[in-house]
Amino acid sequence: MTYQADQVLDCSGLSCPMPVIKTSKAIKTIEIGQILKMIATDPGSQADMEAWSRQTGNEMLASLKEGDKFVYFIKRSK
Amino acid sequence: MSQVADFTDIDISAEELFNRINRSNDLLLLDVRNDEEYEAWKIEARNTPPTLHRFYGEFVEDEEAFVAHLPKDRPMVVVCAKGGASEYVADRLREFHNIPAVNLEGGMIAWGNFYRRQAVVTTEDYSIYQVDRPSRGCLSYILVSQGQAALIDPARHAQQYLDFLQEKDAELALILDTHAHADHISGGPALAQHTGAPYYLHPYDGIHPFDMLPATIAYEMLKDGMTFTLGKLTLQALHVPGHTLGLVNFLVTAPDGQAFFFTGDSLFINSFGRPDLGGQGQSWAPLVYQAIFEKIKSVVPGEALVLPGHYALHKEANEDGLYAMPLAELWQKNPDLQVGKDEFIEFVLSHLPTMPQQYIEIKRVNAGLSRPDEQRAMELELGKNVCALSTAY
Repeated sequence: MTYQADQVLDCSGLSCPMPVIKTSKAIKTIEIGQILKMIATDPGSQADMEAWSRQTGNEMLASLKEGDKFVYFIKRSK
Repeated sequence: MSQVADFTDIDISAEELFNRINRSNDLLLLDVRNDEEYEAWKIEARNTPPTLHRFYGEFVEDEEAFVAHLPKDRPMVVVCAKGGASEYVADRLREFHNIPAVNLEGGMIAWGNFYRRQAVVTTEDYSIYQVDRPSRGCLSYILVSQGQAALIDPARHAQQYLDFLQEKDAELALILDTHAHADHISGGPALAQHTGAPYYLHPYDGIHPFDMLPATIAYEMLKDGMTFTLGKLTLQALHVPGHTLGLVNFLVTAPDGQAFFFTGDSLFINSFGRPDLGGQGQSWAPLVYQAIFEKIKSVVPGEALVLPGHYALHKEANEDGLYAMPLAELWQKNPDLQVGKDEFIEFVLSHLPTMPQQYIEIKRVNAGLSRPDEQRAMELELGKNVCALSTAY
């Protein structure tokens, strides 16, 4: 399943903690209810993005693996 | 800030951290990994410092709130999985919050891959070294005599042994695995392939106990009573099935009359090897009793220094930091050796902890039935070994 993203953030090539830092900033630039698509290549981003989503309350709609990329669809919830 | 507390640098290596923890109890560990990773395994030592676990995502979201809850009176080592997030957190704690924080360089990966080597004995004629992997409680050994070296239970990170032997100008002559390990990947087959030195294993452990498939690795067969000569040392194999069916111990005698007993996973300092990692706890438990109380007790002299394959607790080390104890003393002090046969077997069978599922896969790797890449090998070896069973835990 895929979602219509309101903003795309490419964190390819960046390692921890940059995907979380950039996602944290980017999510604040979209409206509540809008969707951020984040792309990363760091395998560590999977568990960390799940943890970040639980911690901040922003909803992880999907966490996908496409080739060597990790793709996340996150809905700003608050 | 030119110097952070009394740290020498803004990064601390796994080795420096280990030494510092053992030297003094002044640190605070701040582990910033996610909950899942933290729960799976964490830094432990003889005196594990107080550890605070806070996910770095919290720091990213609200740095002021995160900092407000931190104790500020202790030098702090920030820890994460690979050293990236912890470096970010430590840098900011120092620069913007005046907190004496440094980063564990390389994170938990570096901690997991850190080994320390200590001499058990060094004489003109021979030397024995214990190699400890503190994150896992795994011990391996290097024996050197007259330019020849033997390795017992070498770990997956094989280069360290070769580097050390080069330093000592010794040639690798013999590679021995006491048994087919379930908790970690053996460095034996790779070392044999690389150096041409023979790799020995008991043939009973050349069959995967779950898959019932023969090992595809090349190995020479150990058998009970077999002896090897290494310079001035004599090694005698003692087949002591129980933990595995092919478990072999080595009694090493030196020209000065000293004896060393390499127990692999039969006897540990404070416990003994569980019999169920091959899936046959019920029928193998009596073998563990026979191995320890009948065979070892009747064959191995009390003055032999026991050098085990594992420890479960860092406090099992002696004051020199070595995991070693004369067998006679072990008969007195190991809490599990103070009971009768029925009681022993009943205890074993009623206290078997869960077997980690990855142990079946690790046994496949050690038999050559599976070939993991570096990332997968690391994941398989994550966390502390659970090979021991004891009334003491």
